[in-house]
Amino acid sequence: MDAMSTPSPDPSPAPAAPPGAGGRLGAEGLRPVSETLIRARYLAGLVGYALAVLVIAGCIVVWAWLGWWWTVFPALLVLILALQSLLLTPRRVRALGYLDREDDLVFASGIMFRSVSTVAFARVQSVEVHEGPIERSLGLATLSVSTASAEADLTIPGLPREEAERLRALLARRGVETMAAL
Amino acid sequence: MSASPAPAPEDGTASAVPESAFRRTHPITPLVSGWKVIAAIVAAVSIQNIGSLVREFTLTRLLIGLGILAVVIVVSIVVSALSWRFTAYAITEDGVALRSGVLTRSRRFAPRARIDSVSVERPLLARLLGLAKVRVEVAGGGESHLDIAYVRAADAERIRREILRAAASAQAGPAASAGPVSGPSDPGSVAPAGPVPAAGSAAARGAGEGPGPTGAAVGADGGERSSALGAASGAAGEESGTRDGAPGAPVRGNLWDQVVLDGVSDGEQIARVPTSRLVHSMIRDAEFLLGALALLLGLVVAGGLLLWDDGPGLGAAVALIPALVAVPRLVLGKIEAGWGFVARMTDRGLRMRRGLLNTRTDNVPPDRIQEITLAQPALWRSQRWTRVTATVAGIGDSESEGSLTVLPVGTPEELRRTVGHLLPPLGTEDDAAALGDLLGARARDIPGMRATRRWQWIARRTEVVVLMPGFLVRRSGILTRRLQMISRDRIQGVGISQGPIERRCGLLTLTVPVAGATLTANGMEQPEVLAMRAVLEHDSAHLRRYRDRARWPRPALSAPTEHRPLPPDGPDAGHEDPRDGEQR
Repeated sequence: MDAMSTPSPDPSPAPAAPPGAGGRLGAEGLRPVSETLIRARYLAGLVGYALAVLVIAGCIVVWAWLGWWWTVFPALLVLILALQSLLLTPRRVRALGYLDREDDLVFASGIMFRSVSTVAFARVQSVEVHEGPIERSLGLATLSVSTASAEADLTIPGLPREEAERLRALLARRGVETMAAL
Repeated sequence: MSASPAPAPEDGTASAVPESAFRRTHPITPLVSGWKVIAAIVAAVSIQNIGSLVREFTLTRLLIGLGILAVVIVVSIVVSALSWRFTAYAITEDGVALRSGVLTRSRRFAPRARIDSVSVERPLLARLLGLAKVRVEVAGGGESHLDIAYVRAADAERIRREILRAAASAQAGPAASAGPVSGPSDPGSVAPAGPVPAAGSAAARGAGEGPGPTGAAVGADGGERSSALGAASGAAGEESGTRDGAPGAPVRGNLWDQVVLDGVSDGEQIARVPTSRLVHSMIRDAEFLLGALALLLGLVVAGGLLLWDDGPGLGAAVALIPALVAVPRLVLGKIEAGWGFVARMTDRGLRMRRGLLNTRTDNVPPDRIQEITLAQPALWRSQRWTRVTATVAGIGDSESEGSLTVLPVGTPEELRRTVGHLLPPLGTEDDAAALGDLLGARARDIPGMRATRRWQWIARRTEVVVLMPGFLVRRSGILTRRLQMISRDRIQGVGISQGPIERRCGLLTLTVPVAGATLTANGMEQPEVLAMRAVLEHDSAHLRRYRDRARWPRPALSAPTEHRPLPPDGPDAGHEDPRDGEQR
């Protein structure tokens, strides 16, 4: 009687689970995005870096001129922000990976806070390929995939243009074939 | 009234609505809608200046104030009257048309095929004047509804039926002429005076005489849904009619009930919350008690500060803001959500009526429910009461943020019926008992995925994620037990993530989003999560929602009576099992 009424959890589901033993959280074998994205991100960040330099210089000047020693703190903050962006951008870009599998699209990101998300082709509601000016000049594109849930949406940056087009076509085709939005 | 973008401005059809079909709303409308503006102005003025008003009170000031108020009233009524003059609605066979706007005219049209539900709302003042607002929900996200405000309450009910009839005829399609109208001989779904039955539901009622849920699963493509539904509700209606004669026997021609129920009298009664139970449940709800206490405290403190500080200083404002905004919302919201609650199953979904000051009636189509949460505060356990909220795609109500209380405080029997009508089968042998177990048992006795580390000393005891054949269920909560359930065929995506600490320990976080809600499980063991992720990814890619209840694979939870007649407390017979059984 007890066994009957208890919800039977599937303890060890049959489908082959990728062994997550590797340090990369079950995201092995993903395709990396284009390395050109590093350059694109640096270019896009140029304005920010310039601003950071200005702010730091301004702080130093104010310190020297008016003797406001505490301007060190904002300067340090800006410096840290700029430095982590300069130093970590390559690693961050290399941590991005995606893979179009048989039924779904996987996207992984993050170094310290790593996350891997999956969206099935059947759930895709719309696909958008976006190229900003910097991206376009470098031949890159960003692919946005949206579903019925904002939490499940994906944005994959740094795809070579043809690859983005291929994915868009694939998603559109498979999405129509297997449509089940909600 | 709001001139929001039309859900589907199908100009061809909209302009085809003949001018003569348009009707005005009730002439008192300007008074009702203008009232809010006046109240807002008065409130704003008096709250800002109450101190100085009291101190510098003179007759002339009073007269000036009253004069200004009178001008404001006249102006706002004139403006509302103008806008009323230009507002008209039309209900035709093709759908509902609404035009409004003085300077920028807007014409909106809701095609009948896309009408999801029609609700009748009655805010306090409108209710005093015997008026009501009809809201037509149209499929699609965002602000996709038309409001017909205000009309006489009886008219509102008639309009609702008219609209539903138009919508139903779109659904029934070719099967329309098939069903012979066999009158209201069906004991369960008693037809109120002058009910909807267009072709579709007439067919449904005819089919309701059939042998059971399986008996009517034939018919043309469009008619299938409503007819099979009718059969189901007919069968279940018989059950409820015979069993619970006392609280919810369907009434016909009883004027009192017609008034009390606001016309929600067709279809099988699912749940009805007596006031005594509601009050009792609130006293036992710690959250509510704390809220009420905070409200009182805030009022006292604010009042004190107002008196002492001569006039509203910062302190009074700080004390007042939570007291006047957040807490009443919480407290009144709970009262409003439960007062006089009646739920009935109709052929257009679950129909609920509630409200103390502002009564409202909602329709929830079961096939649009994305997520359901059952909650049981600690002190409700002995009574085995449960609160059920549902997340409905598309009902983007700003007040409820898409989640709707579908059962404020229900007995196990009502829970069984509600969940049975709203959800597809869970996929266990006895769904009602399984639910009872999941909510009633201690979390550590429920088999499933859970946190296991020693240091997760709360989560280890309170949280568990269970993968059932039809659903992914997460049990959580220390004092208030919560059961979040998402249907496995509605999963939009699967995410896993890991922070630095989790990585060190080999733990993972699993997030499973559906439209409008997300199930999150923190700090679970990595191998387990990865295995579950694989399963869920497969589900998300391959499982399909049966588009309507008629095609759900097994009889819904609500109709187990054929297999085993339930004693009054039947669904909970298995309730104690996991505690005493071999589960340990």
